[in-house]
Amino acid sequence: MTSYSHGGFHNPAYHDSETLEIDRRYSRKTDHTNPYAREEVAWRGSNNRTVAEHGSMIQTVSGNDSPYGGWQEENRRGRENIPMGLISTQPGRTPWQNDLNRSTSYSNIDSQYNPSPPGPPPSSITGKSTIRWRGNTMRRMSMFPNTDPAYAAFTENAIKNEMENEEQNLVKELVPLSTRERIQAIQELPMSFEEKKHIRSQVLAFKSSNQSRQCTCFTDCSENVSLFFRRCGYAIRSTKQTLGLWQGTMKEIGGKFGTSVLSYFLFLKWLLMFNIFSFLVNFSFITIPVLVFEPSPNTPANVTFRGLELLTGAGYFRYTVMYYGGYSNETLHGLVDYDMQLSYFFTIAVYMALCVFVLVISATNSFKNNYTPEASASNGAWQLLCSWDFRVTNERAVRQRKNNLRVQLKESLSENSYSEQLTLSVRLKHFGIYLGFWLLSIGLAAGCGASIFFLCRYEEQRTTDSVSWTLAQEAETLVVPFVVSLMNLVVPLFYSLFNKFEHYSSQRRKVYALVLRNVFLRLSILGVLCYHWMNVVSKKYSCWETIVGQSLYRLVIFDFMFLLLGSFFGEFLRNVIGTTLLPSLGVPDFDIARNVLELIYAQTLSWVGIYFSPLLPAIQILKFFILFYLKKVSLTRNCQPPQRTGRAAQMQTAFICLLFFPFFVGSLSIVGYTAWSLTPSTQCGPFKGLNNTFSVVAVWMEELEEIPGADWVIWIYQRVIRSEVFYFLITIIIIIITYMFWQISQGRKELIGILKQQIVNEGKDKSFLLDKLQNLQKPNRSNKRHKQMNTEKHSKRPEDHSSGGPSKSNAMFQALLARQQLEEEEERRSTDGVPVPSDISSSSALTLAMMARQRAEGQEEHFTRVSDQHFSQSSGFAHVTQVTQRSGGQLTDGYYGAPEDLDHPTSSVSSIMMQVMQARQRAEEEDRRQWAPAHPQNQAPSGSSALIQAMLARQQAQNEFDDGY
Amino acid sequence: MGNKQTIFTDEQLDAYQDCTFFTRKEILRLHARYHELAPHLVPMDYTNEPDCKLPLALIVNMPELKENPFRNRIVESFSEDGMGNLSFNEFVDMFSVLSEMAPRELKAIYAFKIYDYNVDNYLCKEDLKKTLNKLTKEELTPEEVDLVCDKTIEEADLDGDNKLSYSDFENMITRAPDFLSTFHIRI
Repeated sequence: MTSYSHGGFHNPAYHDSETLEIDRRYSRKTDHTNPYAREEVAWRGSNNRTVAEHGSMIQTVSGNDSPYGGWQEENRRGRENIPMGLISTQPGRTPWQNDLNRSTSYSNIDSQYNPSPPGPPPSSITGKSTIRWRGNTMRRMSMFPNTDPAYAAFTENAIKNEMENEEQNLVKELVPLSTRERIQAIQELPMSFEEKKHIRSQVLAFKSSNQSRQCTCFTDCSENVSLFFRRCGYAIRSTKQTLGLWQGTMKEIGGKFGTSVLSYFLFLKWLLMFNIFSFLVNFSFITIPVLVFEPSPNTPANVTFRGLELLTGAGYFRYTVMYYGGYSNETLHGLVDYDMQLSYFFTIAVYMALCVFVLVISATNSFKNNYTPEASASNGAWQLLCSWDFRVTNERAVRQRKNNLRVQLKESLSENSYSEQLTLSVRLKHFGIYLGFWLLSIGLAAGCGASIFFLCRYEEQRTTDSVSWTLAQEAETLVVPFVVSLMNLVVPLFYSLFNKFEHYSSQRRKVYALVLRNVFLRLSILGVLCYHWMNVVSKKYSCWETIVGQSLYRLVIFDFMFLLLGSFFGEFLRNVIGTTLLPSLGVPDFDIARNVLELIYAQTLSWVGIYFSPLLPAIQILKFFILFYLKKVSLTRNCQPPQRTGRAAQMQTAFICLLFFPFFVGSLSIVGYTAWSLTPSTQCGPFKGLNNTFSVVAVWMEELEEIPGADWVIWIYQRVIRSEVFYFLITIIIIIITYMFWQISQGRKELIGILKQQIVNEGKDKSFLLDKLQNLQKPNRSNKRHKQMNTEKHSKRPEDHSSGGPSKSNAMFQALLARQQLEEEEERRSTDGVPVPSDISSSSALTLAMMARQRAEGQEEHFTRVSDQHFSQSSGFAHVTQVTQRSGGQLTDGYYGAPEDLDHPTSSVSSIMMQVMQARQRAEEEDRRQWAPAHPQNQAPSGSSALIQAMLARQQAQNEFDDGY
Repeated sequence: MGNKQTIFTDEQLDAYQDCTFFTRKEILRLHARYHELAPHLVPMDYTNEPDCKLPLALIVNMPELKENPFRNRIVESFSEDGMGNLSFNEFVDMFSVLSEMAPRELKAIYAFKIYDYNVDNYLCKEDLKKTLNKLTKEELTPEEVDLVCDKTIEEADLDGDNKLSYSDFENMITRAPDFLSTFHIRI
């Protein structure tokens, strides 16, 4: 019987007011099947009877039998459901218990005390509706830290069952997935490797058993093939990692300077890879065929290599495949006919299309990953929990980071007060300063553009369109790129200086303002240069594409030289000055924004030049390769990590967008304009003799008309590519799609707002319930004390209850307390009409009462059987009290849960009755025993006290009942 | 280091590759690193899955972790016994979660565990204080620590229970895109 009832109230269904709202999805189902519902029926059944007896004071034992019977039956039935019950309750319960213990007292020794979470993640994380198996497994895992031995014996089997169930579910969910998805899903499970391996082997076994039922040979074969491909895939990944450039260097930089500086180097590496790709495309489709058929450039006799070509790109280089002019418009006859015109055109076109593709993909990806809906989480929380860079491994860097963080935290504490103090006049002053400096910056950019324009005109007047230039003439061409690069180096310094005078509220705004000004500068200079090339150069020179290509070559080279100079003066000299002459300046920071902008500018030059000088990416590769090492050395020697650990990821997104939007789109439009509208030079290049580059397609179409079977190509050309209607339709469709997505995103925004509100509301609910609970507990405690005193008075035998001694009355107390709680609840409900919390508490109080009663009863039975063993009795009682208390604790734990399934408004009344009945019964039994048993001295007082209590309780209950109704 | 086949069987390596974010080569490198932590303890032959664990003190001395203020917590979070003793599998787990390939959710789960010093599934003020002290070398005054922690909780706590549950934490993480790249240890 004892063990039986143990089972009964350890059936966790009683503690089932789950704490973890996310878990609810799973527990809900089990709640319904749990004894609760049926119990209620049983209680009600007995309720009627008790009410009937209520008026008379006659104590009938028979009245009690029936609730008992019902109760036990419920136990029996409940036990059938136990595994289900456990599923939902175990994980929720234990963490909460831990929570209570730890946060109050054991916080330091928890590592010894707690055998808990090995791999298991916090159980509150359980269940993400998107990844269901994750929720499942996590919940399963959080069952392990089951600390309580009292439960262990009972729940062992159930846990096992449960685990198997969960695992089975997980396996079932994984089996139908494709191999790739499955591997990904397994990889992302938040479990330890052992468990993942177990799951994996189960999935594989399941799969193979499934397949063996179907036809064998083919599936076997396909299995092997898929395994082979998978291994191949891993091998490829492996080799890719081996080939990956600068792995060790990247790790070192990350370790010393953190993620934000590393992002610059990653960007540099990305650009390098991009250029290698461009080079391969251009080289293999344009240059190799030419080199194969005409290995030596047809240079005029008087042009020789003089050395200056390396800088100017003119002279000897002019006739090589470096530039547009080095290619011919012939069809090369070999194994297959190779039309140079077409290949040149399509290579450039496809390359540009690929660039668009790659940039759009990476920009959107970056946007997706790094876009934050609002920047409100900017400071405290983020700085504390997300800002630490786990990558940093250098001791000095760690120390510095800690210092920086401390300073920033202090600043952010003081900033709070600062930002509120700004008066209108101060704001106006700030606004004036912004306006002034913005005007000044834009003026400076415009001035640079204008001066470049005049310089170009001056240079154009001096040069002649001759076959070969003298050395002096060649050197003169270097003036424009020199001035341009000098401006790009010096003007940003002014901008940084302006920046010092302005007061920006956040670091990010400051950086963005600086970046924006620099972008203006560079765009204005590039715009002027392009205008000059398109309108002046294209009309003057016989082979103007080559001239433009040369100018771009010079710009690229000079840009590179100035980058070297920039890092020498900007970083090395600055470091020397900072450390020796002016210690107040200190070691310079690595300015990521400026450096990234320089890279973007360099890449833009290469894009603009791709049409005029197809092999420009080769120069770019060399440039970036050297730059990487240079910057690395300069960084480690001269710089310190940036003081402000800004949001590197967002900056990265901004930079990629910048790379795409003004710079790439700009160069794309220039190349497009050149191909569509400008007349190619008549003397040289693949397109000589054509009106514009694009007409090469028209020529091709004419040729195709002669070939039968190519009608559809011509049809496409005529009806799609050349028709305005097609582009009109495309534009309309894109606009409509954009509008739709915009609408959808607006809807999502609203939804997000609503969900956030919901979270806040849930939080309020939770705190409200917590308050309720605390209010409940307070009177309880005082009541308890009061009652104790009462009992002691009555029994005339002061006893230390807390020692856990022979207090039989303790169990009774529990019952009483529970009852009282109920009453209070009821009172509250009837007065202020807040149904939800009272419902829970009543039912949970009910649970408590049940447990207490049953425990007491079990003890009593035990006691009557072995009535002469007083010691066992007392210890048994101690145990009872303990367990009851524990269940009480759990009850409070259970409180945090949402109030589902717990609406038994009427049961509280009936439970009061039950309490009364029980108390009375117990008292009676005590009484009986008092006359019979072996230790009358000990028993007498407690027996009488129990009786008194029962009387009191009953009376109180009656009062309550009358009040309530 | 010898022939790789003697360390793991192909099946083992397949399992590692399927269950973690590492390739065969990286697994072998990880084994080498693990082995070099305690050459006399860790066998070279893992084909029969020997039961061998290294204590926290040894693992924390790896150069990747040595300067990390959360090193003990990281190792503890990944050890089955909670004391920081790591078997090779757990060692692999740890670096798998900290690797570049791991998705944000997985990283967030373990980051939460790392910050949750008292393993109560909430980041309460005590946890935050400990974190803050580790991050700032305990040079802030107690008042400042209090202020910062309160501010943090106020900012990130959505449901108003004065501590950060995992959903609060995750919500914050989604607004901190850098997290994905900073919660990363390259091995």
